[in-house]
Amino acid sequence: MKNLLRGIVIILLLSIILGAAVNFSLVRRFVRGEFKQGFLAQEEFPGIRFITLAEAEDLFARAGAVFIDSRSREEFAAGHVPGALNIPLEESRQRLSGGDLPYPQERTLVVYCEGGDCQTSISLAKLIHDRGFRDIRIFRGGWTEWSAAGLPVEPPR
Amino acid sequence: MERGRPSCGTTTMIRNKWVLFASRLAVGGLFLWAGVLKITDPLGFAQSIKNYRLFPHELAFIIAIILPWVEALCGAFLIVGVFRRSSALLVSLMLVGFIGLVALALLRGIDTSCGCFGSLSRKADLKLILLDTVLLYLTLNIIAPKQQRD
Repeated sequence: MKNLLRGIVIILLLSIILGAAVNFSLVRRFVRGEFKQGFLAQEEFPGIRFITLAEAEDLFARAGAVFIDSRSREEFAAGHVPGALNIPLEESRQRLSGGDLPYPQERTLVVYCEGGDCQTSISLAKLIHDRGFRDIRIFRGGWTEWSAAGLPVEPPR
Repeated sequence: MERGRPSCGTTTMIRNKWVLFASRLAVGGLFLWAGVLKITDPLGFAQSIKNYRLFPHELAFIIAIILPWVEALCGAFLIVGVFRRSSALLVSLMLVGFIGLVALALLRGIDTSCGCFGSLSRKADLKLILLDTVLLYLTLNIIAPKQQRD
């Protein structure tokens, strides 16, 4: 029993030391608040950044971006940003391979999901980034923030 | 327990030492591989943890930094036979945690990949729970002291 516990303590201590040592720079960046919005390394996904409601509203007003909704079909049907394209995360690999994003790679894309702690917008943004798009904005406030702000919705209320 | 008399609790234990050795290699190899894949992409793994919508941001990061090393070390130790029972116990605890996490995700209707093998991860579903249960059974046999198996 003593040996069993000693082994566990050694393994856990080794893991903490190795994890902290190998990821030292990452831990420092985290402490500085770099990954507050989401776990995205800027050097790995240089074309993705997070935007606020005001920025999303501005892009919508200037018709300068394609909005992409990563929620399910049912949630999308219940209400979405006007003109948004629905690419549910579970269908994304198939849909993106099938050419469901017929835009030039320089086009600004705004990806959103429900808001709050939903994570599908980040996962979808990564997949789109892998397809070569280089101006992807993640609107973390998502549908909850958009609809609560009284901004245009489809179908109209 | 009286020596030599089989007990109800041990009748389903694996007794063959070669099967146990193969179990150690299989479970160890799988955990070593899973750990290494996550060590190479800690942020991706942190995001996978967040996708379960159960852990606060900071905790997801800490888990993503440490857990892959626990997996890799336990896997390596199981293969080489060092800290065999300690590693098996930690692997069992992790498997129980994974099963609970996937079950909770299914109950809450969260559709996500498991995050278990980095970018090669599969969907968090019932099949994954079944796979983890088989691994848990194999691992519990490794923890059991020799006299319980003989």
